[in-house]
Amino acid sequence: MSNPLLIFWAQLFGRREPARRIPALAHIESSSQASSTIFLVMRRMRAPLITIIVIFSVSVVGLSLIPGIGPDGQPARISLFEAFYFMSYTATTIGFGELPWPFTPAQRLWVTFSIYLSVIGWAYAIGSLLTLVQDRSFRHALALRRFTRKVARLREPFLLMAGYGRAGELLAKDFDALGQQLVVIDESSDRIDALDLGSYHADIPGLVADAANPHHLSAAGLEHPSCAGVLALTNDDETNLAVTMTAALVRPELPVVSRTVSSPIAERMRAFGTPAVVNPFDRFGEHLRLALHAPASYQLLTWLEAGPGAELPVRGHPPTHGRWVMCGYGRFGREVTADLRAADLTVTIIEPAELGAPEPGVIVGDASEPGVLAKADLASAVGLIAGTDNDTTNLSMLATARRLNPQLFLAARQNQPTSTALFEAMQVDALLVPTEVVAHEVYAQISTPMLWRLIQEMPAQGDGWAADLIQRLRYNCGHELPALWKIKFDREQAPALEGWLAEGRVTLGDLMRSPEDRERQLQVVPLLLLRDGRAVLTPDGETVLAPDDELLFAGHGSERRELESTMVVDSTAAYVLFDQHVPASWVWRKLSRKNSTPSTLEDAEV
Amino acid sequence: MNLEKVIFGFFVLLAATLNFGFFIGDIANPELHNIYELVAALAVSLIATVLKFGDRTQIGAVHLATSLVADLQLVAAGVVWVWAHEISAQGMTATHTASVVSLSGGALLANLVSVVLLVIETVTFHRG
Repeated sequence: MSNPLLIFWAQLFGRREPARRIPALAHIESSSQASSTIFLVMRRMRAPLITIIVIFSVSVVGLSLIPGIGPDGQPARISLFEAFYFMSYTATTIGFGELPWPFTPAQRLWVTFSIYLSVIGWAYAIGSLLTLVQDRSFRHALALRRFTRKVARLREPFLLMAGYGRAGELLAKDFDALGQQLVVIDESSDRIDALDLGSYHADIPGLVADAANPHHLSAAGLEHPSCAGVLALTNDDETNLAVTMTAALVRPELPVVSRTVSSPIAERMRAFGTPAVVNPFDRFGEHLRLALHAPASYQLLTWLEAGPGAELPVRGHPPTHGRWVMCGYGRFGREVTADLRAADLTVTIIEPAELGAPEPGVIVGDASEPGVLAKADLASAVGLIAGTDNDTTNLSMLATARRLNPQLFLAARQNQPTSTALFEAMQVDALLVPTEVVAHEVYAQISTPMLWRLIQEMPAQGDGWAADLIQRLRYNCGHELPALWKIKFDREQAPALEGWLAEGRVTLGDLMRSPEDRERQLQVVPLLLLRDGRAVLTPDGETVLAPDDELLFAGHGSERRELESTMVVDSTAAYVLFDQHVPASWVWRKLSRKNSTPSTLEDAEV
Repeated sequence: MNLEKVIFGFFVLLAATLNFGFFIGDIANPELHNIYELVAALAVSLIATVLKFGDRTQIGAVHLATSLVADLQLVAAGVVWVWAHEISAQGMTATHTASVVSLSGGALLANLVSVVLLVIETVTFHRG
């Protein structure tokens, strides 16, 4: 490789090759579909092009054969070249007139004939081309091609989102705010239009296609080295299962989050690797149980899952003793009833359809009829859950129930995003919006693994701990949930602390002092400390930090920048940690070396 | 019998035969090379090219390539003829005629390759 250009080329592009190698188990051919576009055009344009060639040849040759009269009055034919020139400007409707000399009537007769012929030829060719451009399959092929190219050019890690429904939209907003790139597939063109119209910072490629088709997933970058995860969020369980399956078979190492409302499907998903399955009904039951036992933990959980900027939710106090009434005993009803019964509560069930074997405490009838609700003896009940898959039914049940017993704790399931305002006006005590549950859950699992760890460890800490943490978060960061961010105390993120960390001289409390005035504490809350895989929740100020510790903080961006300056700038770190003024420049540091750097513990305490 | 194959073979062969008809004869004698035959060869060659559009097989790609070469050569021959006939002061000299005819000779070679490919395709075709 003596050519410098080649060396440059190899330096620029050669090294990327190993990284671009696809670690897929199976390669899915997807390019053939996209490249067929050009062949489609060529094949369909055959007939019109041949027509034009024939018409042109006939008119040019004919014109050059017909006798004319030259400028000198002698018979003269125009040459082939002149005829070609004349036909070219006539057929394209430019029309310079009769060149090189005026035509004879015979020539004019032929030209008239040729003009009509060429108009037909052009109309046919242009018409065919326009039909082709409007052809649905052709447009789809073009869109797929553009999408594939866009995805292939992505260089940052991205998440593949199959299904851009309500949950997808909420998640896309959250991830976009975090600066996480996405690639979206949805079957409905309306949803992809909504994606294009959505105001996102990043350009999110979207494709109208069936996500269950592995070719489309491949086009959306499933085999791309930068693909960081797959989210199966469509409304259809089968499609989600197909996406989970494809991802697990082709890229087993990728994290997959999948949504379903059916537990058999969830089991089938788990047969393929270890996807995180989100079942909103299941989660709502768990949340309700948590809310019964530990209202503050539940409040903290919903707040953390809601994403940055969320308002602190109101702490509910669901009745922990007494009888509940469950309206609608479908999949949702069963999950929640099981959870309520597990919490030692009696449940009366109202179900419109006759179930196979009558269970104790089941009232058959339409719960939206006041008579049926009255049968459930609402006056002695403490809570009612309106859990049918029809929003109108749910709302009318809630209204009737509130009239019969104003003290009831009302929980409801909202099915349509359009009903949001109605349920808000109803002021129910607990509301399940399946899409929001999915969005929050996926956000918590994918955004930072530490947040998910925190949420999993949280219930074990007890309600008092959660109430304290909410107090601290509110005191430091206000009513809106601040951004959550992770810091790893390694050479890259905390170069200034490296030596002191190894000596065990950095405590969390000192680190959280402000670089401007070390008497002031930064307004950040440490949520979780991860060391060697073990988690410590809300570590206190006395905690001694060690190299490679990971910390999850909650706090505003300005506070984060101050903390980061402590971790990066030597002189700031020395001031913040040990109240030492170290010159920032190398020269001054060398000159005043003897009495400045707190290299031993004695120095630091002086 | 496949009508598409008939038309395809017809145009490929006709392009070759017309080209041959123009090419044959003393290379420098303009009287032996009729310009209308060149025009016909060019038109038929263009049609043959369009007929080869959109074939995704390997042999289809080579077919298209040979046709494009033939078109290029014939168009070049036509341009040289126009130059000699209309623009240059001497008209169709022996040199000009030789250029036109030798360019069409190149196109003839490409057309012959096309015919050979056609024959190969026919021979290797197995029904069922």
